[in-house]
Amino acid sequence: MGLPEVIGDLCKIVGRDAVLDRPEDLMLYEYDAGVRRSTPGVVVFPQTTQHVSGIMQLASAAAIPIVARGAGTGLSGGAISPNGGIVIAFSRMNRILEVDAENRCAVVQPGVVNLQLSEHVSHLGLYFAPDPSSQKACTIGGNVAENSGGPHTLLHGVTVNHVTGVEVVLPSGEIVQFGGKAAESYGYDLTGFFVGSEGTIGIATAITVKLLRKPEMVATLLAIFESVDDAARTVSAITAEGITPAALEMFDGWTLRTVEAFCHAGYPLDAGAVLLIELEGLREAVEEQSIAASDVCLRQKAREVRRAKIEEERTLLWKGRKMAFAALGRLSPSYYTQDGVVPRSKIPGVLEHISQVAQRYALTIGNIFHAGDGNLHPLILFDMRDAEQFRCVLAASRDIMQYCIDVGGSITGEHGVGLEKRDLMPLLFTDEDLDVMTSLRNAFNGAGVLNPEKMLPAPRMCREISGPSSNAVLAQEGM
Amino acid sequence: VSIATSPLHVANDLREICGAAHVIEYPAQLGQHKILGAMSAIAVEPASAEEIAAILRVAHEDGLNIVPAGGLTQQQAGNSLNQVDILLHSSRITQVEHYDPGDLTVGVGAGCTVAQLTSMVEADGLFFAGDPPLPGRATIGGMLASGISGPQRHGYGGLRDYCIGIRFVTGDGRKGRGGGRVVKNVAGYDMMKLLIGSWGTLAIITGASFKLFPTPRQTRTFVAEFATAADAIEYRNAVLRSPLSPICLEVVSPEGGAILCGERQSAKAWSIYLRAAGSDSVLTRYRRELGSTILREMEDRAEQDVWRAIRDFPQTIRETHPDALLLSLYLPLTDVLPTLQNLESLGASNGAKFAAIGRIGVGHLLVGLWPTGSQTSVAAIASTLRDRLLGSASLNVLHCPDEMRSQFTEWRKTPTHLESMRAVKRALDPKDILNRGRFIF
Repeated sequence: MGLPEVIGDLCKIVGRDAVLDRPEDLMLYEYDAGVRRSTPGVVVFPQTTQHVSGIMQLASAAAIPIVARGAGTGLSGGAISPNGGIVIAFSRMNRILEVDAENRCAVVQPGVVNLQLSEHVSHLGLYFAPDPSSQKACTIGGNVAENSGGPHTLLHGVTVNHVTGVEVVLPSGEIVQFGGKAAESYGYDLTGFFVGSEGTIGIATAITVKLLRKPEMVATLLAIFESVDDAARTVSAITAEGITPAALEMFDGWTLRTVEAFCHAGYPLDAGAVLLIELEGLREAVEEQSIAASDVCLRQKAREVRRAKIEEERTLLWKGRKMAFAALGRLSPSYYTQDGVVPRSKIPGVLEHISQVAQRYALTIGNIFHAGDGNLHPLILFDMRDAEQFRCVLAASRDIMQYCIDVGGSITGEHGVGLEKRDLMPLLFTDEDLDVMTSLRNAFNGAGVLNPEKMLPAPRMCREISGPSSNAVLAQEGM
Repeated sequence: VSIATSPLHVANDLREICGAAHVIEYPAQLGQHKILGAMSAIAVEPASAEEIAAILRVAHEDGLNIVPAGGLTQQQAGNSLNQVDILLHSSRITQVEHYDPGDLTVGVGAGCTVAQLTSMVEADGLFFAGDPPLPGRATIGGMLASGISGPQRHGYGGLRDYCIGIRFVTGDGRKGRGGGRVVKNVAGYDMMKLLIGSWGTLAIITGASFKLFPTPRQTRTFVAEFATAADAIEYRNAVLRSPLSPICLEVVSPEGGAILCGERQSAKAWSIYLRAAGSDSVLTRYRRELGSTILREMEDRAEQDVWRAIRDFPQTIRETHPDALLLSLYLPLTDVLPTLQNLESLGASNGAKFAAIGRIGVGHLLVGLWPTGSQTSVAAIASTLRDRLLGSASLNVLHCPDEMRSQFTEWRKTPTHLESMRAVKRALDPKDILNRGRFIF
């Protein structure tokens, strides 16, 4: 069965108005927020789990790659389809199916926008904790696929720590359930395994997420430093003091000035670096920890520590943080955001290394990142039309990633491996490690129809696909 | 008791891999390692992941059943094992893989005991949140494989929340890894989640890394008593709605209270134990919010003793009530009360007593159930209880008197698709040599 027949069958499943196949429409789906591009053959918008099941059966029968897509805000190319593949877009599966306040959870369709869920349950005093900077646009389905984080994951963890159940459509079209409303359950934790599997083992159609109670009090501090080094050293000094901030973000001076010019958040223009520190919890505890955190910063040579006095000030400080990439994006035709992780005691060293890399490749690199958990987002400005410069950007990125690995870190803290970093996986994992992961992928997705070319490095993909697939075994046993 | 016989060459192979001193093959010495009614022919003590991989390749080749073992504190959980060919101990895999107090992370070998890890990090003012029963014997590998946590589950999350990396050998002898040494990491499949609570049926865990926490400088425990389970759960709901964030929130049934206190006479009341951490002003605030229901407060030695007793309850009840069936239940928060009420009515009408304790803020209960007369069928009560569980509630048997074991499989329950679990099992342990028969299938 070729693509034209598949498009015809897709129209029968979801209706003609839920299928896009004109080149000018497909162009909108050829990229995400990262730097890779590839044009799908068709984009389909299911409205029900049954639609997704039918689409999956069709893709499997026709052996055409199928890639799930939320809002396309991902930075690792996870939602990019190979040329001619099927993109299954979830913007019409965006209903909050259930809010169960007594059990502190909600069941949502994958297309629900992250922030909308928190807004929807706000009157109950509850919220959904993972807060990627793109939370006004990104979807919970995408958060689940990439195991997304955000500033407040320092205290509350990434998406996987907030998902207790998923309804999944397997490549066969079968609809299955992993976990549910209980915090844990007997049996393999396939829910935990599914989150962050980047669309390679199934497609989620309903997600059970935990809702947290809003804290009684939140304090937001801005600590201003003369140098990046002083700010970086303060990060581990704060945790060494027994203080557990909800968020601990860092900007270098150059980034700070760029962001301030864009959104007037009130950041100081002459600082070397700032830390944005947030504490939450019981009023008494927050007051004490704010004073303690302030003292640590001042001992570590902070010039000044400001505390947001009213909610508007706090919102403004966070607006600067969440708008930062947009602000930096104004400076150059393209930018590339990396997502390395280092042990937090290695932050001063990695920042020094990034500055050397910038000099070596003659690139401008800004640093704005989740300092508390050592999750860096060096942001490299460049011009995509300059092939030589793009080559330098990729080399510089690889250099930074290698450094992160050498000091005991990782190549991604919250963006996922995707298309972008799958060739870096062998720097982090041995062939045998990757072979084990490949056998798990094949247990669900042996034919490689689901999100091919993602997460696991390329040669392995080809080799494994040509081998016997364990999915065939599943099919025989009535899966 | 059936004693397995392994092919002759296997002992030679194992001696070559681990050295003769680390292969034990005299049934007399193995008597203490009788597991779920089966006795192993050979026990082996490998010193590294490489040795484990070599052993598993031999076992995989011959289809020999392997039972991984740590401190042997949870070996009575699960179905009967038909046969144990090789008992594989982690006792020599105890190295510290990485530890930097400034990073609040640590990685150790699977055979390291929980107490060893805890005391190592305590010296630096840090705190390991895992608190399974008998930490002096329980190993890191066994704790992860059984997915067992203690009362600190309420405030610090489950193992799945703070285990940041794992090293293992699959049933077909491949060395694998997931995660790493940093607190935030989404590279590759989350192998930690897959192996935590897999009861050694997918791979043998050889090492793991964890996020650590600062040790609270001061804690206090508040105790409230209630006439009924409903009153206790209503109080839980009030605590969960309040701004308080206790580190432990535990319910103790009347019989559970008697076991904790070592008393023969059962108490009449349901209790809630709430442990808070913070400065004087924070603890004063707790006292004010918790109100006049609080009967007493505990600190220092008395407080530590009560939490140790709660932590070790699953072990203590095996000693106080050898005829008890021990169940572990994970429930949505609203199912906790109906389940406790089911236990009360089923016990009363069938001549059985029960002791329940648990992390009611996260829906985890441990229930010991024992007969009061010779005609009582505890197994039947457990089956009825299981049948009444709704939705995603699940149940596992942690300990069962030998005579009840034949009815085991019927009692378990999981919300997760069985065929997908089987697909994972086939991918990592295609010949089903790891803990064959113990798990859900």
